[in-house]
Amino acid sequence: MDKHMNRRECLRALGLSGLTAGLGLTGAPASHAQGVGESSGFQSSVIDAHKVQDMRTAATIVDGKVIQPQRELPILHQTDVLVVGGGSAGVVAAIAARRAGASVTLVERYGHFGGLWTGGLVVLIIGHIVKGGKQVCQGIGEEMMRRLDKLDGAIIDRRPGVSPTVDAEAAKYMMVEMIEEAGVDVFLHCWGVDAIVTENTVRGVVFESKSGRQAILAKIVVDATGDGDLFAAAGAEFEHRSHNVGLVSRIGNLDRVDAEKAGQAPKPRRLGSATPVPGVNWVNLTGPEVDGLDIATLTQMEMNHRKFIWNNVQRTRQTPGYEKVYLVETAPQLGVRITRILNGLNRVRLSDLREATKFPDVVGVGGSSGATHGEWQIPYGALVPTKVDNVLAAGRCISVDMGMADLVRLVPNCFVTGHAAGVAAAVAVRDNCRPRDVDIAKVQKVLRQQEAYLG
Amino acid sequence: MNNPLEPNSESGRTEAARRRRIRWLVRVSSLVVAIVLLLAARQTRWPVLVPALSPFVAAGSILATRAFAVTACLGLAVGLIAMLRPRCFCRWVCPLGLCADGMSYVGRRCGRKPAKLPSIGRWIVLLTLASACLGYPLLLCLDPLTMFSGAFGIAESRTGWLTALPLLLVLTTSFVWPHIWCSRICPLGAFQDMLAYPLRRARQARNQAGGNRSSSRWNPPLARRTVLGVAAGAALAGIARSSQGSTPRPLRPPGAIDEPEFLGVCVRCGNCARACPTHIIEPSLGRHGPAGLLTPILHFEESYCLVDCTKCTQVCPSGALVRLSPDGKASRPIGLPQVDMSVCLLAESRECTECGRWCPHAAIRYVWSETEYTLTPEIDAQKCTGCGACEAACPTKPNKAIVVVAFENAASG
Ligand SMILES: Cc1cc2nc3c(=O)[nH]c(=O)nc-3n(C[C@H](O)[C@H](O)[C@H](O)COP(=O)(O)OP(=O)(O)OC[C@H]3O[C@@H](n4cnc5c(N)ncnc54)[C@H](O)[C@@H]3O)c2cc1C
Repeated sequence: MDKHMNRRECLRALGLSGLTAGLGLTGAPASHAQGVGESSGFQSSVIDAHKVQDMRTAATIVDGKVIQPQRELPILHQTDVLVVGGGSAGVVAAIAARRAGASVTLVERYGHFGGLWTGGLVVLIIGHIVKGGKQVCQGIGEEMMRRLDKLDGAIIDRRPGVSPTVDAEAAKYMMVEMIEEAGVDVFLHCWGVDAIVTENTVRGVVFESKSGRQAILAKIVVDATGDGDLFAAAGAEFEHRSHNVGLVSRIGNLDRVDAEKAGQAPKPRRLGSATPVPGVNWVNLTGPEVDGLDIATLTQMEMNHRKFIWNNVQRTRQTPGYEKVYLVETAPQLGVRITRILNGLNRVRLSDLREATKFPDVVGVGGSSGATHGEWQIPYGALVPTKVDNVLAAGRCISVDMGMADLVRLVPNCFVTGHAAGVAAAVAVRDNCRPRDVDIAKVQKVLRQQEAYLG
Repeated sequence: MNNPLEPNSESGRTEAARRRRIRWLVRVSSLVVAIVLLLAARQTRWPVLVPALSPFVAAGSILATRAFAVTACLGLAVGLIAMLRPRCFCRWVCPLGLCADGMSYVGRRCGRKPAKLPSIGRWIVLLTLASACLGYPLLLCLDPLTMFSGAFGIAESRTGWLTALPLLLVLTTSFVWPHIWCSRICPLGAFQDMLAYPLRRARQARNQAGGNRSSSRWNPPLARRTVLGVAAGAALAGIARSSQGSTPRPLRPPGAIDEPEFLGVCVRCGNCARACPTHIIEPSLGRHGPAGLLTPILHFEESYCLVDCTKCTQVCPSGALVRLSPDGKASRPIGLPQVDMSVCLLAESRECTECGRWCPHAAIRYVWSETEYTLTPEIDAQKCTGCGACEAACPTKPNKAIVVVAFENAASG
C-alpha cells in the first residue's frame, strides 16, 4: 500500500505543480485556473524506460500460429491474501481478511469498487432478509449499509424488512474509505489473466495492465471475479452455464412528469424503481439467456441493449406528460449474472433451503428476494474447489445448484460469501494450512467477532 | 309378582336406572371417542370414521358416485342394525344427538315447550336419495355426523368459524324447541326409521292378526309420499345441476369429482381441511355460488399442495374426493397456473424467478421475447400438477402474478 500511495501522492503532486505552473504562466485568478489549464498545457516530462517494458516479449507467428514466447514476469507484489475482483464479494473479502490479521491485496480490472452493484448499477439490495422480516446479512455488509446511512443521499428504504436502494457513487466512495481504513493494498485497472500454479496449488496471479504483464504472489487467492476467471485458470472443476445478460440504466426527471397531462392513461412501462437521487430511477433489464463468457455475444448484448434502452426512453418521452424524462446513463458494466459455477466440496442446494438444513461448517446465512422463504445456510465447502488448493471462491460463482444460483448471486448474499472467504483465507494463512484443512471453528469464531450472522 | 322388566317393581326400577346409567356412559364415551377421532385429523385417517358411520351418507354417496368406498361398509352396518333395532344408533352413539339432548334439557328447564311439527326428516331423506340417483344428492350435508365433524374446523382457517354454524343451528333449535331436531328433522334419524319400517310393519301385521289393535304412528301413506319425494328430488337435482356454470369454478382439493356433482356429494364435514398439513383447504364462503357454501376450496397464498400428500382424499367420507395414491394424484392435476404479466415482476425486468424455483416438477421456464424485451414464465401443462407452489412463492402483493385456476377457467392455448 505504501508504495502505491506514494506513487499516487507523487502523481497528485505532479498535477498540482502543473496547475501552479499554469497559474504562474497566465497569472489568472484561481477560480479561472481550470478553464485555462488545458489550453496552456500541463507539465509533462519523459519517464525513464521502466523495467517492465524491458521484459516484454512480443508474440510472434510460427507456422501460421500466433505464439507467445516464454518469458519471465516481474513480481509486482507479495501478499498473504490476494483478492481478485473488487465487486461486492471481493471488497468484503479483502476487508474481512485484513481485519482478521492478514496482509491483503485487492486487484480489480476497472477503476472502481462494487462490480455489478455499482458499475452494473444494480443498486437494489435484495436478499438480506428472510420470511418474517429478519435480516440475515450482517457483518461487513451491514456495516457498509450503516456507513451509507451516514452519507447524505446515499441510501433509501433502510427500514426493517424492506430492500434498500443505494446510490452507486456513494457506494463506490464508501468502499474506497473502508478499503483505505482497513489497510488493504489495491491495484485498480488490473486484469487477472492467469493463475500461478505449482502442484495443484495456487501461488499467485498474473495480471495485465497498462504496466504490462506482472505477477503477484500470494499464500491464498480469493476468486471474486464473479466469473471464476481465476479458479478456472488454476484448473479447478466448474460448470459453464448460460444465463440472462442485461444492461441496467438510469432515467431522470421523473419528478417532472406532468400529472395533469398524463391523466388516467396507462403509465409507460419500465419506469424502474426509485434511487436516492430525486427524480432518478434505475431500470433493470433481464436480457436473453446467453453465454456470458463469449466475447462476441457480450459485444452483441452491449449493442442490442443500448439500442433498446435508447428507443424505450424515446417511447416514454412520447407519452403525454413524460416528455421531460431522459436517459441519465447506461451502466458502465454489462449485467452478466451467471457464467462459471465452481464445483466445490459442498454445494448450496435448493433441497437444503426447503429442508432448512443446518451445516456444521456454516459460514453464512442467506436471504431471499421478496423474503419468501426462511433462512438457508451456506456451508464453507461451497467456497472450496474439489481439486485445486489455496484458492477460494466468493460471490456469484460459488458452488451452487441452479435452483439456488439466483439467490446466491444477490448482492447481500455476495457480501456474506465474501465475508466468509476473506476470514477463512486469513485463518488459513495464520495457521499455515490449506483452505480445505482450515479449522472451521476458528473461522466461525472470527466471523462472529466481525458480527457476521451464522444462524 | 317379581318381574324384573316390570318398571313398577322395586328391582325393575333399579334395573331401569342401571340401564340408563350404562346408556349415558356409552353415549358420553361415544362423544369423547368421536372428538378424539376428529381431533387426530393431521396425524391419522381416523376422522373419516365419524361421518362414515352414517348410513344416510353411505347410501347417498353410493347412489351419487356409483362407487363403493370401503368406509361405506361402516354406514351400511349401522343401517343394518337400524333395521333390527330402530334408532338404536341415536340412543346409544350419536354424538350430535347427545349434544342436542343436552340443549333440549336446558331448554325445557328454561320452560321451552316442544313445537308441533310434522316429520320433515323423511322428506329430506327422500329428496336426497332420489336426487342422488341423478348424481346430485341435494341435502346430504344435513347429516348430523357430518355437521358434528364440520364444527371441528372452527380454528382451522380464516373462514373456519363458518363450519361450526350448522352445529350451532342444531343446538339453538334444540334449545328453542326441545327435541325437535332428533325427532322431526334429523335425516339420519328419519332414514333409520325408514329402514326399520318393513320389519316393524311385519310385526304389526302379526300383532294385528293376533287381535292386538294397538294404534301406531307408523302408518304413513308411504307410496304417495315416496313418489312425491322422488319426483321433487329428481326435479330439484336437475335444476341444481343446470343452474351451475355461471360462476367461475373454484379450485378443489386433489381427487375432487366433477362439478356440479361435487356440490351434492360433498357433505361439508371439513375433514379434508383439517387433515391438510399445509392448511390450504378452507370452507367456501359462497363466493362461487350459494350451493357451494362450506365446500372445500384451495387457496395457495401461503402454501401449496405437497407432492406426496393425499391425506384429504383419505379422510373424505362421501367420495367427493376420490381416494388417490401419490402417483394417481400426479396424473390428476388440480388446475393450471395463469400468469398475469401486468403484475409479474419480470415484465418490469425485476430480478425474480421464485415461481420456477419452487415448482417441484420443473414445469416453469422463462422465455425471452425479443419483441417485448422481457422474460415471461411459461408453464408446461404436461409436467404441471397445479400444486400451487408457484403461486405460494410469488412475491407480488396484493395480487399474485401467477395463480392456479380450475381447468374450466384456464384460458386455452
Ligand atoms: C442486470 C442485473 C440485475 C440484478 N439485480 C439485482 C438486484 O436487484 N438485487 C440484487 O441483490 N442483486 C441483483 N443482481 C445480482 C448482483 O448484482 C450480482 O450478482 C452481484 O453484484 C455479484 O457480485 P460479485 O461480487 O460476486 O460479482 P461482480 O459484481 O461481478 O464483481 C466481480 C468484480 O470482479 C472484477 N473482475 C472480473 N474479472 C476480473 C479479472 N479477471 N481480473 C480482475 N478483476 C475482475 C469485476 O470488474 C467486478 O468488479 C443483478 C445482476 C444483474 C446482472
